[in-house]
Amino acid sequence: MSAASSTCREIEPDLVALAVGEAEPDAVLKVEEHIAECPPCMRELHQYRAVEGLVADLRRTPLPGADATLARAQLESRLSDLRSRLVSFGLFDSPLGPMLIARSELGVSMVEYVESEAKAAARLGRLTGAAVVESRAQTEAFYQDLLDYLQGRRTRLDWPLDLRWARSDFQRRVLDATAQLPYGAVTSYGHIARDIGAPSATRAVAQALRWNPMPIVIPCHRVVGSTGDLIGYAGNKVSLKQQLLALEGVPVVTHGALQVERRAMYVRYLAEAEYCLPTCGELPSMPLTRLTLYGSRARAEAAGLAPCASCRPDLHPMST
Amino acid sequence: MLRVMAEGDAFEAVVAAHHAEIHRYLVRITAHASDADDLSQETFLRAFRAHRGLAPDANVRAWLFAIATNLCRNHFRGEKRRRLAMAAAGAEPAPVGGRPDGHVLLQETGARVDAILTALPMRQRLAFTMRKLHDLEYDAIGASLDCSAETARAHVFQALRKIRRGLDDVAIASTEPRT
Repeated sequence: MSAASSTCREIEPDLVALAVGEAEPDAVLKVEEHIAECPPCMRELHQYRAVEGLVADLRRTPLPGADATLARAQLESRLSDLRSRLVSFGLFDSPLGPMLIARSELGVSMVEYVESEAKAAARLGRLTGAAVVESRAQTEAFYQDLLDYLQGRRTRLDWPLDLRWARSDFQRRVLDATAQLPYGAVTSYGHIARDIGAPSATRAVAQALRWNPMPIVIPCHRVVGSTGDLIGYAGNKVSLKQQLLALEGVPVVTHGALQVERRAMYVRYLAEAEYCLPTCGELPSMPLTRLTLYGSRARAEAAGLAPCASCRPDLHPMST
Repeated sequence: MLRVMAEGDAFEAVVAAHHAEIHRYLVRITAHASDADDLSQETFLRAFRAHRGLAPDANVRAWLFAIATNLCRNHFRGEKRRRLAMAAAGAEPAPVGGRPDGHVLLQETGARVDAILTALPMRQRLAFTMRKLHDLEYDAIGASLDCSAETARAHVFQALRKIRRGLDDVAIASTEPRT
């Protein structure tokens, strides 16, 4: 390129482009016309083409250290570890307020009420050792199920659950037992304690459910105090508990505190195969630690129970 | 869950299709097999965390290059560290001597190009490597370097100019002008 010629300087980018095969057709013409008249630029073009040749050689030259076999094997191992720890989460609006849904490859690992992003972060922080990423796509399907549930279009959330982050085996047992409570049924902390073979551990059961990592899904709202009081839900959100129970057709009244109206509910004694009117035999005086209550006959029968042969709830249903 | 399994397999396919090339790119940039091993792993671990957010028609290869490029830039951040890496890689210009035969000449010229590439500003070197050694489109390179396709192209051309100038005193025997 002749330093003196402004044409040479102007045409230089097109000349480089031509050498590397990226010039537009009109630029090609321009360069060809110019180099026909300008030997230095002609030489320049050849030099750039030579550089292209060297680059082609560089591509062909075997690269020392390019064997990726070991790196690939290490990657596979780290990926498999990461896969097992990866938790995707999404934040969603719901009729009960903002909710966090988190899931791993094993299933749903957390569903929480979160008033703020800070609170969501604190909740996710409980997933010790997890690699947490936000992914609406990964959690959206669960959210849709949840909306259907909260709007009464669905009565079960039979999702795969990942309880690896339960606080203890004891809590896992409590959560498992609670998850068995059917839609429209209510029982007491004491009953769950009996269910898991620890009848004196009522308080521990209440604690375990206080830290329920997935309310609604594991229906701790169906567990009440032995007097029927709606106590301890998501900190102080007893009204949410009432809403969820109302959705399921469980009658709730105010007797000082919010209470399930056990006089208006069908009753199952321990693990019997029948359900009774609330007035059957000794039932009215019996503590809730031995009873499960149902909001309607339909709910009791959906749980696989037959009408009691003595009080005959099928012949004398309660007026609703 | 079937859905999860299917996604795991999809990422397996991404690894199978691109790991070797990304590793090669990283060897070229870092000049260290062990750095390339680490950075390629990190590239794919990051990709794994984020790939679910990708649009279905996303250019996965370009996206992986962008992640790898970012990791490289972090890796080399700080001039001191970069100099150390270069010294360790033995990236001194190879001496050119005598009148060696064509083959040796080519090797020496290759070493010369290597030395020039190593001495390039990082963005030019990354852009050049992505474009000329891995055939990436300029818009993908721009996305990797947080610049426009035009700027990416300017980086590549600047690198070509430096190689061309660096070769001024080297006879390029096999590619002499034929006219």
